[in-house]
Amino acid sequence: MVQLLFKRIGFMIFTMIVVSIILFLLLETGLTGDPATRVLGNFASDEQKESWRDQHGYNQPVVIRYAKWLGNFATGNLGTSIRYKGPVKDVLLPRLWNTAILGFWTFAIMIPLSLILGVLSGMKEGSLLDRTISVFGILTTSVPEFASAVFFSALFVFGLKWLPGTSSMAGGFEFKQLILPAMVLVVYDFGYVARMTRASMAEVMQSQYVRSAVLKGLPYRQVIIRHALRNALIAPFTVIMLQINWLLSGVIVVEFFFAYKGFGALLLEASLNNDIALLEACAMVAVVVAVGSQTIADIGYTFLNPRIRFT
Amino acid sequence: MAEKKDNLSTKRVHPGVEKMQKSLAEGKCSRREFLRTTTLLGISATAAYGLASSILGKDILPDLISTAHAAQKKGGVLKFGMVVQEMADPATYSWTEKSIVARNIVEYLVETGPDNITRPNLATSWEASDDLKTWTFHLRKGVKWSNGDDFGADDVVFNFTRWLDPKTGSSNLGLFNAMLEETGEKDAKGNPKKRMIKNAVQKVDAHTVQLNLKSAVLSIPENLYNYPTAIVHRNFEKEGGDLSKNPVGTGPYTLSEFKVGEIAVLKKRNEPYWGGEAFLDEIRFIDLGSDAGAYLAAIASKQVDALYELDLSTVSSAKNIPGIKVLSIATCQTGVIRMKVTKKPFDDVRIRKAVQKCCDAKRQLDIAHQGEGILGEHVHVASIHPEYFKLPEFKQDIAGAKKLLAEAGYPDGIELTCNVGNTDGTWQQNSVAVLKEDCAKAGINIKMNVMPSAQYWDVWTKAPLSLTAWTHRPLGVMVLSLSLRAGVPWNESSYNNPAFDKALDEAEASFDVEERRAKMEKVEKILQDDAIMVQPFFRSIFTAISDKVVGFEMHPTRYFRFHKMSLK
Repeated sequence: MVQLLFKRIGFMIFTMIVVSIILFLLLETGLTGDPATRVLGNFASDEQKESWRDQHGYNQPVVIRYAKWLGNFATGNLGTSIRYKGPVKDVLLPRLWNTAILGFWTFAIMIPLSLILGVLSGMKEGSLLDRTISVFGILTTSVPEFASAVFFSALFVFGLKWLPGTSSMAGGFEFKQLILPAMVLVVYDFGYVARMTRASMAEVMQSQYVRSAVLKGLPYRQVIIRHALRNALIAPFTVIMLQINWLLSGVIVVEFFFAYKGFGALLLEASLNNDIALLEACAMVAVVVAVGSQTIADIGYTFLNPRIRFT
Repeated sequence: MAEKKDNLSTKRVHPGVEKMQKSLAEGKCSRREFLRTTTLLGISATAAYGLASSILGKDILPDLISTAHAAQKKGGVLKFGMVVQEMADPATYSWTEKSIVARNIVEYLVETGPDNITRPNLATSWEASDDLKTWTFHLRKGVKWSNGDDFGADDVVFNFTRWLDPKTGSSNLGLFNAMLEETGEKDAKGNPKKRMIKNAVQKVDAHTVQLNLKSAVLSIPENLYNYPTAIVHRNFEKEGGDLSKNPVGTGPYTLSEFKVGEIAVLKKRNEPYWGGEAFLDEIRFIDLGSDAGAYLAAIASKQVDALYELDLSTVSSAKNIPGIKVLSIATCQTGVIRMKVTKKPFDDVRIRKAVQKCCDAKRQLDIAHQGEGILGEHVHVASIHPEYFKLPEFKQDIAGAKKLLAEAGYPDGIELTCNVGNTDGTWQQNSVAVLKEDCAKAGINIKMNVMPSAQYWDVWTKAPLSLTAWTHRPLGVMVLSLSLRAGVPWNESSYNNPAFDKALDEAEASFDVEERRAKMEKVEKILQDDAIMVQPFFRSIFTAISDKVVGFEMHPTRYFRFHKMSLK
């Protein structure tokens, strides 16, 4: 177990270092344009740019610069954002928090909804309920976020006038503004998780221990709760952990559309505006979340499934 | 109105005013041109309207300026949907949005209204010498900075000195070129280095400043309302050089909250404002990102009361939403598909002419901008500019283009790449697409390179062929001075024609509209002959406001004046 943990963490660090090297080469070395021009703008004179390069160590060899950059990053010094004229950390953390709020509510609705529907539909494969849930799930999952966002705002903002059209939270946090972005994410994602749960449930329902339980005369409700569910929920657990990863890219579209001030909108703005330091930090955060959630999924899996043990 | 009626008999009046009076009486110039030129020459707007009324024998009311709303209500919070950008240094602004927040804190010496007439603001009046080389500005007395200091000549001298120092990096260098001289050195690109001429700006007394130019310039007052010319406190640099951190100003509002990309909140200052009552207690600028749909959704669900901009793509939907007014105005905003004369193949004028000849301006306007705008003739001067000289209509000539192309050594056609950044909307991309179709008929194959707007501004002066959006400027000479004079920072086509510069100098030196227009003939013809751009149309612009907003004036450059607005 401890060995697995170390292996996993070692792999995590390795992935992050590889990504950081790619990022550094792309953004800091002039492969994609002069960093000094990006920071100082087009009207900067050559002397200005030269003194900026000097001040910020851009005249040093690439290897030394990378080592320094990595050191700064590791110690939490994420640099200064050009677009926001301030430390990256001050911009990034509140935005991450906002996305965490959106993610929390999305998951809080999506997970119970998809598990319940998935289990219901997997219990009796081929039944009317199963068919209905499956078709509905496939339908919503196949509509991309940008399309459902337009559809929902046409319906709830312009048509019924029930909900606010944007979610900038400019006047402080307001739950009402969270509904549409969360709805778009839930609708897109629940179908997928429900389908996975259904498949897992259906498989369990075919297993011999469920058959035995039914045959020995246990009430159907007990068969489901005691025997089927526990085993059927192992696979969806991994899928749900993977959704955290998906959410980070899913929020870009949704946050842009609803002007929600989260991590996704920030990432987009950083890349559109060539904000090097911010872009690097956002990319690293995404890597940490991706690798981190996978590690947690793997470790969690061993707890849930006693048959998988890494000794 | 805070503006005092100036006594014409005691003040020195520019002889041009008399000439204009004669022109107006003889019907040689329009009322609008009379008002514009006389106010430029230092007559207050009120006096100019009075003169026009007495000459024409009827009461001339300011037609586009909505008169003061007697019953405007005090108080309330106006929520305004607009991208909130950093706004540290007014002199280096390159986006109007930055100035939209800042202009409520720091102010301009003059103000140009939606009618393109320039009125006093921090300067109460101004005079020009007969040769238009010496300008004297009388500054308003009794104006206090928010830190308690008196506003005066030192502030204005500081700002000019700062703008004209190339190290500041201000685009105002191009506007006040007549105050610069060459140092004799050259920069890395081979352009001559420039510096401010000694004594180009002089303090006469505590409230009088004199500008000494090396050549005549008519549009000095209008240049002073260009968005990077807000007057900051004389200690701006000493105190950090960041307006968002240290918002010292003369304006009616002060900054109470500022988060780039999220929100800017302005609160009314406690001290009385020199310019009269400001109605709103608070103005909240709410960043809704860069998706045009989000702005429409926000105003439809009453999250904001007014928008900075209503995108062309959302205009027709907005018109159907109850409780919302769509406002529009004809402007000189345009997309200039410019060709860089120093880069191949555009160093050959025949290629440039061939591309120009392929353009069908009417089709461009209809397809790219839903027909909302006015046609142009590839010279970046619009028919709503006062000095516009009417050139013969520019007709598409595919056969002519083919012939020129063959002469230039490309009988089998040529491949070109055009950058477009959609910095002002997708109409830009559509405009290039229409040109691409038309050019294909002559064997010119244009590859469109659509890039994100921020990336576009990294390369806008560099690419051989690209479409750049230019904003409205009230005088044609202002635009040309900024964009086409040899060596100015925004000369994106690297155009360098001494004959053009000279003709432009001459046009800028004429205050008489007829005389100036006659001189613009030469300027426009040189430009059209040199064929450095495809510039088919000038576009109208739009915004939307809620019915409860009172006193909102649409402005061709969106220089909205929030202290005149109130809520129902």
